[in-house]
Amino acid sequence: MSKRSESVEEYLEAIYKLSRSDGEGGATVSRLAAALQVSPPSVSEMLGRLRAAGLVEEGGGRGVALTAQGEREGASLVRRHRLSERFLTEFLDVPWDEVHAEACRFEHAISPEVEARLAAQLGYPRTCPHGHAIPDEDGACVEEPLRSLAELEPGEQATIGRISDEQPELLRYLASLGLLPDTSVTVESVAPFGGPLLVRVADAQYALGREVAGKVLVRERPGERRAGRGNAAHARDGRPKRARSRGRRQDRHA
Amino acid sequence: MTTAVTTPRAAADREAGTLAVCLAGNPNVGKSSLFNCLTGAACDTAHCAGVTTTASSVCTRWRRHAVEVIDLPGTYALEGHAGDQRVGRAALLEARPDVVVAVVDATNLARNLYLVLQLLDLGYRVVVALNLVDEARRRNIDIDAAVLARDLGVPVVRTVASKGEGVEGVMRTVLAVVEAGDGAGRGRRRRYGPLVEERIDELEGQLEERVASRELPFGLSSRAAALAVLEGDPETTAALSELGELHIDPGDEALPLLIARQRHDVARRLAEACTASADVAPDTWWRITTTPRTGLPILGGVVAGVFTVLFVVGGFLSGILTNAWEATVSPLLTDLVTAIFGGGALGRTVLWGVDGGVIATLAIGIPYILTFYVLLALLEDSGYLNAAAFLTDRVMHRFGLHGRAVIPLIAALGCNVPAIIGTRTLNSMRERLIASTLITLTPCSARTAIIIGAVALYAGWQWAILVYAVLIAVGVLAGLGLNRLLPGEKQGLVMEMFPFRRPVLRQVGVKTWRRFRDFIWDAAPIIVIGSMVLGTLYETGWIWELTEPLSPVVETWLMLPAVAGLTLVFGVLRKELALQLLLTFAVVAYGSSVQDISSFMDTSQIVTFALVTSLYVPCVATIAVLGRELGWRRTAYVSLGTVAIALLIGGAAAHLLQALGY
Repeated sequence: MSKRSESVEEYLEAIYKLSRSDGEGGATVSRLAAALQVSPPSVSEMLGRLRAAGLVEEGGGRGVALTAQGEREGASLVRRHRLSERFLTEFLDVPWDEVHAEACRFEHAISPEVEARLAAQLGYPRTCPHGHAIPDEDGACVEEPLRSLAELEPGEQATIGRISDEQPELLRYLASLGLLPDTSVTVESVAPFGGPLLVRVADAQYALGREVAGKVLVRERPGERRAGRGNAAHARDGRPKRARSRGRRQDRHA
Repeated sequence: MTTAVTTPRAAADREAGTLAVCLAGNPNVGKSSLFNCLTGAACDTAHCAGVTTTASSVCTRWRRHAVEVIDLPGTYALEGHAGDQRVGRAALLEARPDVVVAVVDATNLARNLYLVLQLLDLGYRVVVALNLVDEARRRNIDIDAAVLARDLGVPVVRTVASKGEGVEGVMRTVLAVVEAGDGAGRGRRRRYGPLVEERIDELEGQLEERVASRELPFGLSSRAAALAVLEGDPETTAALSELGELHIDPGDEALPLLIARQRHDVARRLAEACTASADVAPDTWWRITTTPRTGLPILGGVVAGVFTVLFVVGGFLSGILTNAWEATVSPLLTDLVTAIFGGGALGRTVLWGVDGGVIATLAIGIPYILTFYVLLALLEDSGYLNAAAFLTDRVMHRFGLHGRAVIPLIAALGCNVPAIIGTRTLNSMRERLIASTLITLTPCSARTAIIIGAVALYAGWQWAILVYAVLIAVGVLAGLGLNRLLPGEKQGLVMEMFPFRRPVLRQVGVKTWRRFRDFIWDAAPIIVIGSMVLGTLYETGWIWELTEPLSPVVETWLMLPAVAGLTLVFGVLRKELALQLLLTFAVVAYGSSVQDISSFMDTSQIVTFALVTSLYVPCVATIAVLGRELGWRRTAYVSLGTVAIALLIGGAAAHLLQALGY
């Protein structure tokens, strides 16, 4: 694989992620511009170059799609990004909500050799700290399906994956309260008779009615449990967690 | 000091030289407390979201400056279309304040700074009042105000508004900011990502080109206007499109959320930079009061406590007051009125009002209403109301209400009037209408007295229980029915849950007094006038003229004696007097052989009478409060609706019981 420039890699990664996010309109110019924080004209220009290089093609009404080659490279980049995030949170204690930007720099410097060792050292994790699936070496990637926040039990922590946009007002309101995708939420308590959920977001607590909570789709975050609560759900994904990373992280989140 | 509380005047109407200061902040950060300190007006503060539901403003003087202080509703943000946010933004834009005092909660700085950033983005001169620093200190949160001021680029004043600390400092800083000059370049700081900034630049360019010579709407800078458009602010967008067509990229749809996210990030970084916090102890009270296993028994205890205090303390005080009044004031008043108006019908009518009416106000007002207001203020200010709302939300939801409605409904058992005023804590008119209707159907202490004093005493306690069962069934059905029938969407619950705080007694006192004053203003004159109307009809004997026209309803349908019908009609003026009234009429109609109501009414009639009295719109004081809180059209619906229900249930009960031989 020839070495691509960092910006080409960023594009491949973004297209890979956008074309996999369900029901949100695929990898269009405007969504790429928003994701990469560049202007729409520069996206169009870069897409032209990627097309010429045989990495992307027309995506049938949903913006662009990756070719087989682009898909392979995109998966590999996403894998390196998410492994880096995992490494940064678990070994270097970078706060999980800041890790994305650091990983963006990290991922471009990792050789396949280091990538393999990183994966082995981390115990072949299947998800990044935000709960996104890490593609395997062959590029196969199975995102865990999102669950509704309303299904969580008291004490469970999760990351907001997506907020249903049937009600744009609600979406905006929740956003102004800081309930945004990739934000961590903890269910503190659930009222009886199918009542509202008491949800902690950063330093604030909100009571969310069930119909509101049902519109917030969450992803579980691996290995993040609050201290002293719910041992039963220990390491939900079925693999033991290293005590050292758990212990440290609890300090910060308790 | 002039303290006329009014709605804020638009910028154009303000007198020259008057300084306009807006108070903005998240709900429950002590904004109203600061407003009170600044103005001396006793505006309701509450430890729950949404007390200040409309902007109010007060003109006052500070040093030698005329100042108009505008209290915006508590809001988390200024964008979006949600009710409180929209009201806040519209009021702010219209008022064009000279300075905005952003009140922020030191215990939750990151979330609070979001609004501050938005104010700065709109180009306002901002003074940050870092409030609740005492609370933050208790929770080991230490905020370096100097660092925050440097990073934000605006003055930051530490305050404890509930105790009045730092309020002088806020006012001094506001004046200093104004005197420092024009504040050019406000809101020019570029704090967003490259994509957002690029779009802002592009839109600003368009704005400057198209509307070069004219002022932008609401006095906004071009950057502020561009950002408002990108955030999807409907008012600014509409005002701008009148000035010329703006080209807006369809890709901008994703921008509001992106801007929100970036602004949250900026706010978080700002908060982290100035906050040193030791380990924050978890709020165990929260866990105990919101976990169903412990929370439900506590809720039960609190409800029972409120109930007991209202009945025991209220009843006790009511008795003392009535006795004291009758022993001391009544004789004096009687002498005075007789001296002026003579001992005839006129004098006696006046006495109905000034003696009977005033003691009624006192006997209900002070024991029941004042007591309830103190309890309500304590529950609100401690934050317990939120826990109660959280636990009962589901049940209330069936009625189209939120958990918040549980406390006014309990209060209604004491007196409907304060309960209806208490529905101000609910968010939508739909909820308030449903809650108010259910409140009017809830037997207050006056109606309880009829059920106990007539039904239980003369028909038997099992009949009293039956009456209560019917009333509960009617209430539940009315709630379910209204929830189905009333248009409008049930709003999903999104309520901030505040940590528990120790109520400040002064605040509880101020709030209690303010609500009590509303009651006195609204209800007392109506009770007095109602009593005089009743007195006139009674003393002149005109009241008997009504027997004939009422007969089809009263005697045929409800199968009640004519005197009971008159009592039902005039009971609306003074429901707590209904029993007394009934006996008085009976003595006139049947002679002095009448000892108690059982001598002219049988079991089925007593039950029917109690049912109808309990169900139809409680009293004129309730109607008056309904009218002010919900508007007269809705009040008419509620009143007529409850009368219809009362006649329906009463008639059905009468016929059924008669058929069964009671």
